[in-house]
Amino acid sequence: MAKVAREMVERSGVDVEKLLELLTKNAAAELTTYYYYTILRTNLIGMEGETLKEIAEVARIEDRNHFEALVPRIYELGGKLPYNMNDFHDISACPPASLPENPTAEEILKVLVDAERCAVRGYTQICNMTFGKDHRTYDLALAILNEEIEHESWFSEFLGEGPSGHFMRRGESSPFVSKFLK
Amino acid sequence: MPLFIFKMKAFTKSELKQFDGKDNKPILIGYKGYVYDVSGSFLWKNGKHQALHSAGLDLTEDLKSAPHGEEFIKKFPVVGYLKEDKKQ
Repeated sequence: MAKVAREMVERSGVDVEKLLELLTKNAAAELTTYYYYTILRTNLIGMEGETLKEIAEVARIEDRNHFEALVPRIYELGGKLPYNMNDFHDISACPPASLPENPTAEEILKVLVDAERCAVRGYTQICNMTFGKDHRTYDLALAILNEEIEHESWFSEFLGEGPSGHFMRRGESSPFVSKFLK
Repeated sequence: MPLFIFKMKAFTKSELKQFDGKDNKPILIGYKGYVYDVSGSFLWKNGKHQALHSAGLDLTEDLKSAPHGEEFIKKFPVVGYLKEDKKQ
């Protein structure tokens, strides 16, 4: 544990135990999403599905990166991950992104966009909680939030909700979070 | 309030507090005068929501600072309405 780092956060008025619970729940959401997105991506088939497969894969890899980036911060602040994978799954901050019963490209897209929207809400909450108080967690949560918002906009564009406003990745992943992974 | 509330159960705040999801009890929350059953929600397991909110309480004020709107509460079944605790 980074003792003084935690003390600084406590002194700023953040409830560190609640923050740790939120970070752990969101780390669980990232890792379980990585797993469920594997199944969703695999089932994106046919003329429509193949169009989406690459984007689903980028979101899947970046969600795993988010998990990797969150874990060190959880331990720095004195938290820990559950030892049991079942427990970890069940504390997730977002519901399972399960394959829909009728796995058309559109139905899978709805699952993907719901998962991203849950993540956007979660990291917005962490940013609100840490802004001006816990600079390192805020920086991390903001970096993840930037990527989750891009994922949401990619998927929502395909659902006919309007243009995402930007391109998908060109060769690299996690442009915002990668600095936490080096 | 609409007429159908006469058929619903009335909960005082202290009665609502018993439905906190602990010991397999139903998970109920209050919002804008009504009581919602969120027992079926993945996000209310064990009567806690996102580490910050507990079941068995009136969450009307809490929702104002939540990163989502009331549509996330209103999709759950209404099982009663809130009434004032009897004054001692």
